[in-house]
Amino acid sequence: MTAESPPQAAESRLTVANGRAHTPRTVTALCEQYAEVCESAVDPLEIASALELEGLGDQAAKLRYGYADVFALAQDMYFRVPRKPVEPELPPDPWQEGGRLRPVLHSLLYALPGVCFPAAIGLLTGPGAPITLIVALAVAWSAGQGLAFLGYTRLGRTLDIAQTRRVLRLGLVIGLGLIVIAMLAMSRVVQPIHPTTSVLLFGLGEGAYMFGAGVLLVLGAEVWLLVALAPGVLGSAVFLILGRPPDLEHLTWGLLAATPVIALIIAVVRTRPTGPREGSLFVREEWLGAVPAVAFGLVSAGLLIFPVAAGPHGHGGINVGALLAGLPLSLSMGAAESSLLWYRRRTQKLMRTISDIGSFGIRARLILLAAVAMYVAAAAALMALTVVVANAIGLAHWQTGYLPQMAAYLMLGTAMFLALTLQALGSRIFPLVVGAMALGFEILCRNLGVSAQIVACAELLIVTGGYATIVLGRAVRHAW
Amino acid sequence: MDVALIGEGTYPHQFGGVSVWCDQLVRGMPDYDFSLVALVATGNEPVRWSIPDNVTSVTTMPLWGPPPSGPTSRWPGRRKLRSVPCPALGELIEILLAPPGEHLIRFGEVLREVFEFAQTENLSAALSSEAAVELLAEAWQDWNLDATEAAPTLHDAVMYMQLLEHSLRPLSHPPVRADVAHAVTNGLGALPAFAAKWRYGTPMIVTEHGIYMREQYLHSRGGPFRWPVRALHLRLLRRLCSLGYHEAEMITPGNVYNKRWEEQLGADMSRVRTVYNGVDPADFPASEGEPDVPTISWAGRVDPIKDLETLLLAFALVHQKMPEAKLRMFGAPPPGQEAYLERCKALAAELGLSEAATFEGRVPLIRDAYDAGQIVVLCSITEGFPYTLIEAMTTGRPCVATDVGGISEAVADTGMIVPPRNPEALAQSCLTLLQDGSLRRRLGAAARMRALEYFTVDRAISAFDEIYTFVGTGLELPTAELDDESDDLLVTALPERDDETELLEAAG
Repeated sequence: MTAESPPQAAESRLTVANGRAHTPRTVTALCEQYAEVCESAVDPLEIASALELEGLGDQAAKLRYGYADVFALAQDMYFRVPRKPVEPELPPDPWQEGGRLRPVLHSLLYALPGVCFPAAIGLLTGPGAPITLIVALAVAWSAGQGLAFLGYTRLGRTLDIAQTRRVLRLGLVIGLGLIVIAMLAMSRVVQPIHPTTSVLLFGLGEGAYMFGAGVLLVLGAEVWLLVALAPGVLGSAVFLILGRPPDLEHLTWGLLAATPVIALIIAVVRTRPTGPREGSLFVREEWLGAVPAVAFGLVSAGLLIFPVAAGPHGHGGINVGALLAGLPLSLSMGAAESSLLWYRRRTQKLMRTISDIGSFGIRARLILLAAVAMYVAAAAALMALTVVVANAIGLAHWQTGYLPQMAAYLMLGTAMFLALTLQALGSRIFPLVVGAMALGFEILCRNLGVSAQIVACAELLIVTGGYATIVLGRAVRHAW
Repeated sequence: MDVALIGEGTYPHQFGGVSVWCDQLVRGMPDYDFSLVALVATGNEPVRWSIPDNVTSVTTMPLWGPPPSGPTSRWPGRRKLRSVPCPALGELIEILLAPPGEHLIRFGEVLREVFEFAQTENLSAALSSEAAVELLAEAWQDWNLDATEAAPTLHDAVMYMQLLEHSLRPLSHPPVRADVAHAVTNGLGALPAFAAKWRYGTPMIVTEHGIYMREQYLHSRGGPFRWPVRALHLRLLRRLCSLGYHEAEMITPGNVYNKRWEEQLGADMSRVRTVYNGVDPADFPASEGEPDVPTISWAGRVDPIKDLETLLLAFALVHQKMPEAKLRMFGAPPPGQEAYLERCKALAAELGLSEAATFEGRVPLIRDAYDAGQIVVLCSITEGFPYTLIEAMTTGRPCVATDVGGISEAVADTGMIVPPRNPEALAQSCLTLLQDGSLRRRLGAAARMRALEYFTVDRAISAFDEIYTFVGTGLELPTAELDDESDDLLVTALPERDDETELLEAAG
């Protein structure tokens, strides 16, 4: 190729005026004008790029300041002005989005559905009721975990709310399909149990609510979730306060049914497609990544519910101790979230002020210990409160024999908090495996009653705690 | 001949000048087979261009999203997930901490060792490991910092290793096989070309429309990273650019202006050939007649780098002298810049120009935007060699444009060049042209003549046909472009040069 290039205008005619409108006359003044650029520059070329951006090119560098070109001028400016870089603004704290009250709101959202169960007790009769509800809860919990994982992953990866909505809508459809299949299976396949239609519908509603709630939580629409909960929770509360009047029973059940329907409608509306369809719905890594989340949902539901369902001695019957301890544990997830957010904020702050990786390991472990202590205190307080309230309204009468069960649940809650922390920091398989082993042990040794749960939960806490102590002391785990 | 065309964030996943250029090149060379290699953000981006028949493959290399799966282990179907320390990492960090400009050859050798490692082990896992962060944190302790007030923290070390992991992901992909690897950017976009060169000895070409490194400097200012992270990352990119120039058999900037930066970054000027962008004259026939009202037309992305605020301030001055004058702006903001459009509209309202200056959005045929004005203005603060300008010139519209990038090379004596961010100079030039019909017509005709002679797509394609042939067969090109002093760019004068000189001086 030859260099047959176009003719150019003579340099003197290149510009009508020379340099930008208010360019300083001396290099000193120029350094002052560009002080921030010079102080933060990583090398002279960065200053040259800034000068050119403002229209100060070779011609101005030569004619106005007497340098060969803008690069020579930038070089001189770099050495004249010492480095004093401007610190970037700290990014908004992602763990404070929605304010510090968000975990409190979440606690409320986790706790409120608890009011609905006593009000629906008239619906939940028959021999198939417990197992059907457990299956519904297990499906809803596990698939709900998968749904939340997919939503948060897509949102975090692309920061694209439109894509996230589409993924959530698909997850919602799949979740609803799963709960319908599960309830159909309970009605058709498991013949000896014969769950009633009302039990099946309750299970279906439970699943639908949890999927709708999962979608709304990912989208940060907690207030809308409160709106959906309002009819079911208020109706149940009034019904219970009035002493379960029979003539209000059907109205209450109608209000209970309204909650999942409203939650679903809001979830469908909030995930309506907007803008062009960008990004594939099926990203292999995302869907594969959701599998451990689904499995962990299943395992944690099992660990929480199995002692309740298995009865005090592993042969069925009502396990009051497990109920008294299990209920506050599910309510304590708000406290777990709050402790986790505190832990993440503190470790981030530490990382931004320390340079020695060894010191970080030690101090990060101490912060973890403090976070665990915060959670344990909150969970123990909730358990005590539950016992006091249940005793006061006559739902259950306290016996010291419940203490071992409560201790087991407290250990389970602590292990779950550690598992949650590990998952938040990228370790998802280990808590799942250890949790599955603990659940397996409880099922195999159910004849031992509460002793089996104590051993399983102690093992779970020790192993998860040991692993967390090792892994969460590493700086790379806290990369954000 | 097979050509691997390597881009970053452009063809075929995004629109824009570089993508237009790539599409023109591929479609204009049907006898060549092209393998497209696209560095993309997440891998989730849709292909936005229809793929020409002579494209044999499209390979995406996501820099973000999940890390690339490691190489296959000896167990069939299994991937290497385990983190094995990368032996070259320590020296790579040492080199990056050294002042830029030193150890370029050794940097190339170390990067090649990293590439070889990435082909057999999981590089992403190695760079994300605690050991890697520890290596950097310790090396930083001994760093003779320019900025003593910005001492690196552990958070900085973790952030930087993450940046490095993402940046070097292209090295973990299997090298592309082709006769020529043509990187249409430098920096990270050169990594797949290095890989092909190291593995198969594929000769490489680097084309820059803008200057990669200059854009990185500008882009990083005001970013989220502290000085130590920014410094190290920019040093990596700077070294990659220098290595790109060093390894390339041919450097083909899109304008002569780029050569200044390439020289600063260590490019061997004897390997530089400027190849200008071109347009298809059939798409831009000469405009017939002019609008009745004095009208300035602007077309492009509504983006801060286009500096529409200066244009509006300049037009306010024009409007004072010529109240009947109109400013018509065609184009839409890219995603994320909608606020800029609103800001410009607010400025227009504040200047009392809401009726005279109109934002007209996208036009189906960009030619109509040029036809809409008696003159076309481009007032960007940074440019490479913009299509808008050479398209407007091809239609025969005289242009007033800012002296940035390759704009003065494109316009030369066929329009008016003003400094950027200078509303007074811009207004003065616009008024001169709007008030003098004969000057407008003469410059317009000269602009069209110049564009048809130098800035056609056929000319660009035949240049690359020649470059591919010579580089692909290992032959040396017959002539080398000359250095700045003896550059032949100033040899030929346009016939009306003297007249225009006077006119421009009068305008000044």
